[in-house]
Amino acid sequence: MVEEQNEDTRAVDLLNDDLTDVSPEEIRAAQAAVAAQLETAEDRWRRAAADYDNLRKRMAREIQTVREQERRHTAKAFLPVVDGLDRALSFGVDLDEGVLGGMQAIRAQAADALRALGYPEIVIDGAEFDPQLHEAVSVVEDASVPPRSILAVTRPGFGTPERMLRPAAVVVTRRPDEE
Amino acid sequence: MAKAVGIDLGTTNSVIAVWEAGEEKVIPNAEGARTTPSVVAFTEDGERLVGQLARRQSILNPKGTISSAKRFIGRSFDEIKEEANAVGFDVVEGPNGEARFNIRGKQYAPEEISAQVLRKLVDDASKFLGEKVTEAVITVPAYFNDAQRTATKDAGRIAGLEVLRIINEPTAAALAYGMDKKNHETILVFDLGGGTFDVSLLDVGDGVVEVRSTAGDTHLGGDDFDRRLVDYFADEFKNENGIDLRNDPQALQRLFEAAEKAKVELSSVSQTQVSLPFITADASGPRHLTMTVKRSKFEDLTADLVERCLGPVRQAMADAKVSENDIDEVILVGGSTRIPAVQALVKRLTGGKEPNMTVNPDEVVAVGAAIQAGVLKGDVEDVLLLDVTPLSLGVETRGGVMTKIIERNTTIPARRSEVFSTAEDNQPSVEIVVLQGERENAADNRVLGRFQLTGIRPAPRGEAQVEVTFDIDANGILHVTAKDKDTGTEQGITISDTSNLDQGEIDRMIKEAEQHRADDQALRQAVDARNELDSAAYQVERVLRELGDAAPEHERARAELLITQAREAVQNNVGEQEAKERTGELLQVAQSLAAARANASHAEQPAQDDEDDVVDAEFDR
Repeated sequence: MVEEQNEDTRAVDLLNDDLTDVSPEEIRAAQAAVAAQLETAEDRWRRAAADYDNLRKRMAREIQTVREQERRHTAKAFLPVVDGLDRALSFGVDLDEGVLGGMQAIRAQAADALRALGYPEIVIDGAEFDPQLHEAVSVVEDASVPPRSILAVTRPGFGTPERMLRPAAVVVTRRPDEE
Repeated sequence: MAKAVGIDLGTTNSVIAVWEAGEEKVIPNAEGARTTPSVVAFTEDGERLVGQLARRQSILNPKGTISSAKRFIGRSFDEIKEEANAVGFDVVEGPNGEARFNIRGKQYAPEEISAQVLRKLVDDASKFLGEKVTEAVITVPAYFNDAQRTATKDAGRIAGLEVLRIINEPTAAALAYGMDKKNHETILVFDLGGGTFDVSLLDVGDGVVEVRSTAGDTHLGGDDFDRRLVDYFADEFKNENGIDLRNDPQALQRLFEAAEKAKVELSSVSQTQVSLPFITADASGPRHLTMTVKRSKFEDLTADLVERCLGPVRQAMADAKVSENDIDEVILVGGSTRIPAVQALVKRLTGGKEPNMTVNPDEVVAVGAAIQAGVLKGDVEDVLLLDVTPLSLGVETRGGVMTKIIERNTTIPARRSEVFSTAEDNQPSVEIVVLQGERENAADNRVLGRFQLTGIRPAPRGEAQVEVTFDIDANGILHVTAKDKDTGTEQGITISDTSNLDQGEIDRMIKEAEQHRADDQALRQAVDARNELDSAAYQVERVLRELGDAAPEHERARAELLITQAREAVQNNVGEQEAKERTGELLQVAQSLAAARANASHAEQPAQDDEDDVVDAEFDR
C-alpha cells in the first residue's frame, strides 16, 4: 500500500506511522523532504508577507503621487483665469483707480491661492534664465546686458523646480554674435 | 533583484514602463509626467539637459538642442540629407559617412543623444522604484534596418543598460493586448503619433509574432492636426478684425495651446468653446478671440490628413497579401488615434472591425516592452496565480435582502467578519442563510447552506451581537461561523461547492444583476427604509414604556397611533417614500417625548438613538 504512493507522500506518512520496520535512511530522507517542504512554504509565506508590506508602502506613496497629480491638474485649470486677469490689467492703465486696485487685489488673491496649494509665483526680478523655472518663448539680441538675462515675462509661472505647475514664459537675451 | 523595464524610445516622446507584481506600470519621470520629450540640450556652460528642461530652452539654444535623434540613428549622412535641412541643429557627415550632430564644435553620434534620453528615463525610474534599473527592452519601428537596430542597442549600452532585446513597436503593442497567445491571427497595428505614422501587419501564433509588412508616412501626426486648427482660428480672426495673429509669436503660442486643447476635447464632445481674452489690441482697444468649433468643422479641416492614412494602410495590406476580411484584430497606437475621424477611417478600412484601444495608446508600446522584459526575466511566468471569488458571498438579513460579506472578485484566501443582531425582543436563535450572488433580493441568489445559532440569552432586539465570519481558503472552500459574543456559543458550516459554477453560469448571474440593478437598488432602499421605520416604532414604544404615566396624554395617543400605523406599513411592505415619511413623524414624536421626559426627570438622558452602531443588520429569523 505504502509502496504505491509517491516518495513525498510516503515520507510524510512515515513520520506518523509506526517506525519500527523503517530503515534509518528512509527516516532521514523523510525528514529531509519535510524540511524542504517547510522551507519552501516558509519562503513563500515570507515573500507573500513582504509583498503585502511593500504593496502597503507603495500604495501610501502612490496616494501621495495621485494627490499631487490631481492638485496640479485642478490648479492648472485655473491658470487661464489668472492669465486673463493679467492681460486685463495690462490693458487697464486708464481705468478708474478704484477698479484697477480692486482687480489687482483679485490677482493677488489668485496668486495667494496658488501659493497655498504649493505653487508660489516664480519671481523674475533680475534673474538669469534657468530652464528649471523658465521657458524661453522669445530671444532678443542685446549686447548691453549679460546673455541669458530675462527682459520680460509674457506669462507668469507658478511652482518650484521640484513641484512645477507651469514655468514662467520669458523673453531672454542672447549675445549678438551667437548663432 | 534589479528590475527590468520596457522603453518606448520615440521620435518626439519616450515612455518607460515596468513589470511589477504581476502588473505592468508606466513610471512617471522626476517632473511627474508619464511621457518625456526625446530632447537633449548642451548649454553654453557645458550643462546637459534632457526632456522638458531641454525643450524649455530650445529657442535660446537652437544649435545645442537636439530633438528627434531617432530620425538620424544608424543612418548614413547621405540617407538623411533632407531631414538634416529641416532641423535647427547641425547635422554633419562623420568619418565613415555616418550622420553626426555638430554641437559647439564637437561631434556627437545620434546614439549618444538617445543614450541621454534613456539615461534620464532609467535614472528617474530607479528613483521611483527605489531600486536600480539595469536591464531593458527597447522598441524600434518595424521598418528599422540592422544598422538602426544596432545603433539603438548601442544607445542602451552607452546609457549603461543591458539591452535584453530590441523589439518592434507594433509587436510590443500586440504583446500589451496579450495577442501573442492567440492561435494564428492577422493583426493590423495603426500607429499615428505626434509626428510620424506607421502601419504594420502582424502574424501571431504559438507565441511568435512576425511582421508581414509595414508602411507609413514619416511626417504625419497630431501636430499637423493642431496646425489646421491654428490656421482656422487665425483666418477667422483676421476676417473679423483684420489682424493676423500668426505674426505675433505670443499670440501664436496661445493659439497652438488652444488648438491642442480643442482637438482633445473634440474627441469626446461634438463642439467646444475656444476663448482667448485679450489676444491682441489695436488703436481701438483690446481684442478677444471667442469661437465655437464643431467636430464636423474640425473633420472638414483635417479630412485630407485623415485621407493620407489611407494609402499606407492599403499598401501594407497589399504587401502582406491580406484583404480586410483576413484581419482578425486592429490595434490603435499613438495619441492621435483618439480622433474619432481617424477611428472611423480605420474601421472603414478593416471591414468594420472594432479596434482595440483599451490600453492607453500613448503608453501601449512601452507597456508591451515591459511585459516582454518581464517574460525575459522570468517574472511573468513566476507569478503565483491567485484566484478570486467569482460571485459575492453573504447572508440573508431582515427584510429578505442579501448582506454581502465577501465581495465578488476578492482575492482568496480571504477572511471577513461582520456583526449582526436580532430583530425581535428575546429572539432565542438566528438562522444564518449563506448566499452567493449579486442580487439584492436574497431569494434571487443561490443558497449555499443554512444553519441555526441557538441559545441566545433573552435580550431586547438589537442588543445581542452575533459575529458572522466567512473564511474562504485557496481552494474556494468556504467556512461560515456564527458566534454569540455574549455566551461564546458558536455554530458553523463548511461549503465546498462555492466555485463549481461554470463560467457561463457566473456570467449569466452577473449580467442579470446588471440588468436589475435599478430595481434591486430600489428594493434595497425600500427594505432599508422599512427596517428603519420598524426600529423607530420600537424606539418610541420603548420610550413610552419607560415614561409610563409621565407621558403627556395627547403625545401618548399620537405616538401609539403612529406605532400601530408604522407596524402596519412594515407589514404591508410600503414603498421607500412612505416608510421614510412615517419614520420622520415617529422621530418627531420621539423628540417631544424625550423633552417630556427631560422635564419629568432632569437627571435622565434623553432617549435618542444613542446605541453604538456596530451592528450592520439584523436577523429576523
